[in-house]
Amino acid sequence: MFEGCVEIRNHYSDYLDGLCDPQAVKSIRFHLSYCGSCRSELEVWETMQADLRNLPRYRVPPELALRLRVEVSRAVHKKLLGWLRVWMDNVLQPVLLPASGGVLAALVCFCLIMGSLVVPASKTPDVPLGSPTPPAVRELAPIDITTGDAPVVVVVPVDAGGRATGYRVISGESSPQLLHELDRVIYFSNFQPATWYGQPTYGQFVLRLARITVRG
Amino acid sequence: MGVMDTARTVGIALDGALSSTYEEAPLVAELQAGSEQAYSYLLGRYQNQVFNLISRILENPAEAPDVLQEVFIKVFKGIRQFHGDSSLKTWIYRIAIHEASNHRRGWMRRHWHEPMSIDDTPGEGGSSMAEVRAGGQTPYQVLEQAERQEIMRRALASLALPYRTVVVLREVEGLAYDEIAQVTGMAEGTVKSRLMRGRELLRRKLVGCLGKTDV
Repeated sequence: MFEGCVEIRNHYSDYLDGLCDPQAVKSIRFHLSYCGSCRSELEVWETMQADLRNLPRYRVPPELALRLRVEVSRAVHKKLLGWLRVWMDNVLQPVLLPASGGVLAALVCFCLIMGSLVVPASKTPDVPLGSPTPPAVRELAPIDITTGDAPVVVVVPVDAGGRATGYRVISGESSPQLLHELDRVIYFSNFQPATWYGQPTYGQFVLRLARITVRG
Repeated sequence: MGVMDTARTVGIALDGALSSTYEEAPLVAELQAGSEQAYSYLLGRYQNQVFNLISRILENPAEAPDVLQEVFIKVFKGIRQFHGDSSLKTWIYRIAIHEASNHRRGWMRRHWHEPMSIDDTPGEGGSSMAEVRAGGQTPYQVLEQAERQEIMRRALASLALPYRTVVVLREVEGLAYDEIAQVTGMAEGTVKSRLMRGRELLRRKLVGCLGKTDV
């Protein structure tokens, strides 16, 4: 089939890969059986092929493999929303714990400071300051007074201790009987003194006593 | 079927050298669905093969990491356009060949050499003394083998890119002619002629380096 060494050698590539048809293979083998030059040339090809196949294989170093995964993952997920989400995660996650701790600490400090600033509520009612208050009857003695038909109006001065220092009838009956009863009423009644800027002081008030008739 | 189940099933299939399009379909479906586990599986499965291919095709293997990264980014971005017309491996190899061919076409890229750290360990395996003893080879034999491999690497790197590509795909990666044709986009006849021409050129370079009897 083949006539010379050059023609034979042109088919070495196919021969090595097993792509020659049976007739060509037979012809090549026949030529090799008597041609030492072509035989040694084929050995060269076979050695070269073996050397190529025995070349050590490059392997991805571990650090490159890791970098590759990161870069590929980053490139694949490079979408706007995904990028935004990743950016938010990267930005917010590192500050999440410090921020939470900061807010909590600020809240605790606020409560502590506000707790120390708030004045506790007084058990006694507030005393109005800046305005005078007149004396008043705290508890009137339960003594009957015969005032007649017209009411009796008296002016009662009260000292800072809440004691009535006297009285003066300015209207109504002023019989000795009534005055005697008034003495007892004023003496046994309990008064609240007048105040000036929160301090008890002397004052006087008008007391009107009248008979109440209940029909029954 | 869960993601991991799919990956495991496909993994068994691929490990058993049954990487047909049918077997890859679940993995491709998971990849197209954006599964992180499928991405991890694919990387683990193909990164070394693609890295070796790129390192052999590029004149400077130090550029292989960048190209590898570009390849897998393109793979994952383009996985939705993969319709299973070829095997996944062929498709990934096609992208790798394309990226390696396009890399460093400009003058600046061709003349720029990245600095290398003296601490870097070479990706290509060297033999330690322990390995030498365990392999039953004398240090002289190991040195001789390393020298032959280095000469072969340089000779291969000095081939023109079209020839180097087909020689690497055939001899180093062990692809069949039809697979090489699919990867390179050439006709099988072109693959055949380029392979023959590439082998012949390589043989001549090796004869020049080692002497005829050594090759």
